Amino acid sequence: MFDVIMYDGGVYRSEELYELIEDVGGVIIQKTRSAQMLTVTMSIPAEDRKMVEAFCIEIGGEIKPVPLAGTEIAIVGPTLGRHHMPHPICDIAEQLRRYGAVTVVMGLARGRGKLTAQINLQEKTIIDEYDAAVFSLGNFKSCIEAKTDLFKDITVPVVLVSGPMPEGIDDTCEAIVSGVGRKTSRMRTAPERAKLEEIADAVETILADRKKVLEEDPMFVHPGEIKQLLEEYEPVNMCLRPAPLTLHLDGLRVKIPYDEHHEYIENMTVYGRKLKDVCTIAPSKIDDSSILIRIKTRSEIEYEDARKVEKK
Amino acid sequence: MDIEVTCSEPFGADSYKALFEEIMSDIGKSDFMDKAELVLKPDIPLFIFSVKLKTEPTNMKISDVATVRSEGDSVFMTITDERHAPEMLDQLWKKYGRRAVEQQTRFDIIVRGVKDSEIRDMVIASGEEHMKEIVGAIWRSMPEGIKVRHTYIDGMVITVVATEERIEPYMLEEAKAVHKRMQGGAEDV
Repeated sequence: MFDVIMYDGGVYRSEELYELIEDVGGVIIQKTRSAQMLTVTMSIPAEDRKMVEAFCIEIGGEIKPVPLAGTEIAIVGPTLGRHHMPHPICDIAEQLRRYGAVTVVMGLARGRGKLTAQINLQEKTIIDEYDAAVFSLGNFKSCIEAKTDLFKDITVPVVLVSGPMPEGIDDTCEAIVSGVGRKTSRMRTAPERAKLEEIADAVETILADRKKVLEEDPMFVHPGEIKQLLEEYEPVNMCLRPAPLTLHLDGLRVKIPYDEHHEYIENMTVYGRKLKDVCTIAPSKIDDSSILIRIKTRSEIEYEDARKVEKK
Repeated sequence: MDIEVTCSEPFGADSYKALFEEIMSDIGKSDFMDKAELVLKPDIPLFIFSVKLKTEPTNMKISDVATVRSEGDSVFMTITDERHAPEMLDQLWKKYGRRAVEQQTRFDIIVRGVKDSEIRDMVIASGEEHMKEIVGAIWRSMPEGIKVRHTYIDGMVITVVATEERIEPYMLEEAKAVHKRMQGGAEDV
């Protein structure tokens, strides 16, 4: 199993750190350098964690846990109107970013109201592109209980954040965090900060379970390895969008148009195999703005290989 | 401001009381309000927000918020109600230009080359505009999906009744009762 940690320190002997990460079979998820300071988010095998941590301390840095690193999470509100934005949706997104996740804030087109709230298929498929979704609803129990249609068909794990604790809807989402609701100001008091941590912890627990499930049938390659491969592809290198390569638990998002670049990406090779053989490569549902790569598991690839041999 | 909330759900009652106070304070209207009554029925859904103002909104002139005196070809003003200072400066700048208007201290303004009678009667805030802003603030504090609204305005009392699909007669009756109560009359008047 891989652990994600963050090195926070100076650039002194950082080349040795990169070599060590490579030697233990880990990957660098994100590297940010500011003058002489450096932060490196890395994914390393759990059994080598102590050794890497000891080396980080030896070179004068410190280790910070980033339990949600390598994930992309959608925070969804009923709309992007001033009733729901920027608080508490942006506060939740900020907290998840502090835990290492890449976040996206989304508003539904017709999510407001009790009797008229709805979600369409396109919105559902967009939310399903992420590793998890956090739905933020309002202050009335009867209203929240009537709006389960918004998230019950979402296939990725959903954490519901609400004002009062709803009853009888536990089967429609993975976790419910109550005590937030509609807000007009920033969540800055101690109880509110604690509530934000509770939300982030709920997301962390759910994604930790998901990681365990993925470990049972491991992916053919770690998403970080494909990230390293794609970093050298010029359109990605030239892309000015934030985090042009965003890791997911079972793949990654490449923020360049699908139509222009999918052929090149499909024919890249990893461990002697074409990427199209070991991954599913599809356009994102958000205006063809990015490419979604989902890495197949080893058993999937073995099965496909066996089928090919049979056909011959 | 005294806020009375009627709601079957305790969380909703507390949070809407706080939301209403915060929104009115953000928009700068809480000082003008005497009391408010919020009736929240999310299960229908039906929302009735009623506010009683301290005074009836009228057109505000410069002579209402500042003392005005004339010396030579200049008019000297001393602001007595600072809440209206931004609108006052805005109107003076609009009419005479920034060159002619000089704000010497926080409360003292001089306008050169004008008559004091002209300044005294200058309207700096219209009552209608003020009323519109309060109604806008009430709409803003209501839940977003509750868009079908009807407003009652009588002197100092504003009542907004809102629901999601269509307003039934009994909703209007309930709103009228709240409206009467806020005006100080009995419900069956």
